[in-house]
Amino acid sequence: MFFTIFLLVPVGLVIYDSFESGGLIGAHHFVGFKNWTNVWSQALAIESLKNTFVYALMVIPTVFVIGMILALFLRNVKRGGPALRALLYVPALAPVAVAALIWIFLVNPDFGGFNLALSTVGISGQNWLGSSSLALPTIASLEVWRGIGFWTLYFFASLLGLPRELYQAAALDGAGPIRRFFRLTLPLLRPTLLFAAVFATVYALQVFDSVYVLTDGAPGNATATVVLYIYNALLNFNELGLGAVMSVILLGVTLALTLAMMRLLRNRRVGAP
Amino acid sequence: MTRSVYPGSYSRPTLRRLITPRGLEGASPATTAVSYGVVVVACLVTIGPFFYLLSSSLKPDASLFQYPPVWIPSHLYWGNYAHLLFHTEFLRWVANTFLVAGVVTCAKVLFDSMAGYAFAKMRFPFRNALFVVVLMTLMIPFSAILIPLFFIVRDLHLLNTYWALILPPLANPIGIFMMRTFIEGLPSDLENAARLDGASEFAIYWRLILPLVKPGLVVLAVFTFLIQYTSFLWPLVAVSSTNLEVVTVGLAGQSSISQVDYGIYSAGALMALVPITLVFLFLQRFFIAGSLAGALKQ
Repeated sequence: MFFTIFLLVPVGLVIYDSFESGGLIGAHHFVGFKNWTNVWSQALAIESLKNTFVYALMVIPTVFVIGMILALFLRNVKRGGPALRALLYVPALAPVAVAALIWIFLVNPDFGGFNLALSTVGISGQNWLGSSSLALPTIASLEVWRGIGFWTLYFFASLLGLPRELYQAAALDGAGPIRRFFRLTLPLLRPTLLFAAVFATVYALQVFDSVYVLTDGAPGNATATVVLYIYNALLNFNELGLGAVMSVILLGVTLALTLAMMRLLRNRRVGAP
Repeated sequence: MTRSVYPGSYSRPTLRRLITPRGLEGASPATTAVSYGVVVVACLVTIGPFFYLLSSSLKPDASLFQYPPVWIPSHLYWGNYAHLLFHTEFLRWVANTFLVAGVVTCAKVLFDSMAGYAFAKMRFPFRNALFVVVLMTLMIPFSAILIPLFFIVRDLHLLNTYWALILPPLANPIGIFMMRTFIEGLPSDLENAARLDGASEFAIYWRLILPLVKPGLVVLAVFTFLIQYTSFLWPLVAVSSTNLEVVTVGLAGQSSISQVDYGIYSAGALMALVPITLVFLFLQRFFIAGSLAGALKQ
């Protein structure tokens, strides 16, 4: 069937490829674990893995905290709520590659919006994508912008699904709003948050479009990522085996995260009274 | 009267009642004011870049560097749009995107609803085992199978064809999963009655199930279309001739061809956003229903 050709066979092949040498053109040879040992001595591969995880760590906590705060405030917004929610959601519609084009403008050192904003508070402009310490956060900022609306609405919907009686009881017991949030809302939302965190991580680990458009891994390897590595291994470096190793790592991490989530969620359901 | 359980089937007032907070009459005017303030500021942040883009697209490149910046140009400059429309393949790219996304969406709505019906209501050998396979493929990140997929498509001699863009996305199993969930929520009495009347499985699916899950079909269609419209990596790898490129790849490719031409960029980015935003505005109810369904499923 269809899956077999386009999903399952590739998974088998990618694992097999990771034991091969050769490139786009020419013969492939079985080389055992050579790719698996070589990849660790390659600075680019290590940097790519590191950057990808750092990127996920920058994006997800930021967007979750902002999204949750906005969702809490959004509950008090009744008149005009649907319109405001639509405005919040719009960035999520922008293809990442197109959003990256917008970012080319915003981060331009000469006339970009980022530096204009800084100059109004008297800070001198930065070369956002040219600096090896700022480039990755700049790319992360794009995904934060795209993600805010989506996660706000997601958390908003989850909040509305919580049982109201518990809150009335807690309010009667004299629990203030902050206490109610940490003692009641967060524990109740734990399964939702767990699912969201895994979903967001799996998505973030695949970051490619924005990097490809904005920096192509530069400066140095400061924004090199896993999928960029796979892409280059396929089309530029002629090093399929190494690309396949990276693919298998990505696959493994994704599967491990998903399975861990499913295990945790199932335990929760069993453990619930 | 039976009522299906997924939010897409709710009438507009019911949905509004569902998503409008109740029991918050206690929120003081001050709290409400602060909430509005925070949400409006957040909206400015999410919308701001679009205005920036619009403003830049209506200026000649030279005046981009003006300081202080002019948000609303006194003289609207349409040259960027003209260049984009008449001197690049932009319209071709948009047409390609719509062709590919349209075909993928139609095919997925049809096949996934069939498969969803089969998994939800029919009994056949290895049904559960097959469904586990579907669930497993759900976890495979696309980029991890990029390399072998490229070779499969190459060996099928499909590189640089529309087929290369259309076939692989069809294997995405999320739709089967969604449709199974939607169809499972339907009461079995109706189809059993139809079966007693001698209706074939296909007739039951086509005449009975499909009309009942129409809102679910729209949700699936909207999401499939959005995913296709925004996809980048696969179209970038699978086709290399400009006249097959989709709009995301085409626009991004401009950077390597010309010097960074900010005017063209901004006009192109803006126009690429128009179709998807229109789809969103018309079908907003289903977007929200979709995310609500996702959340309530927890």
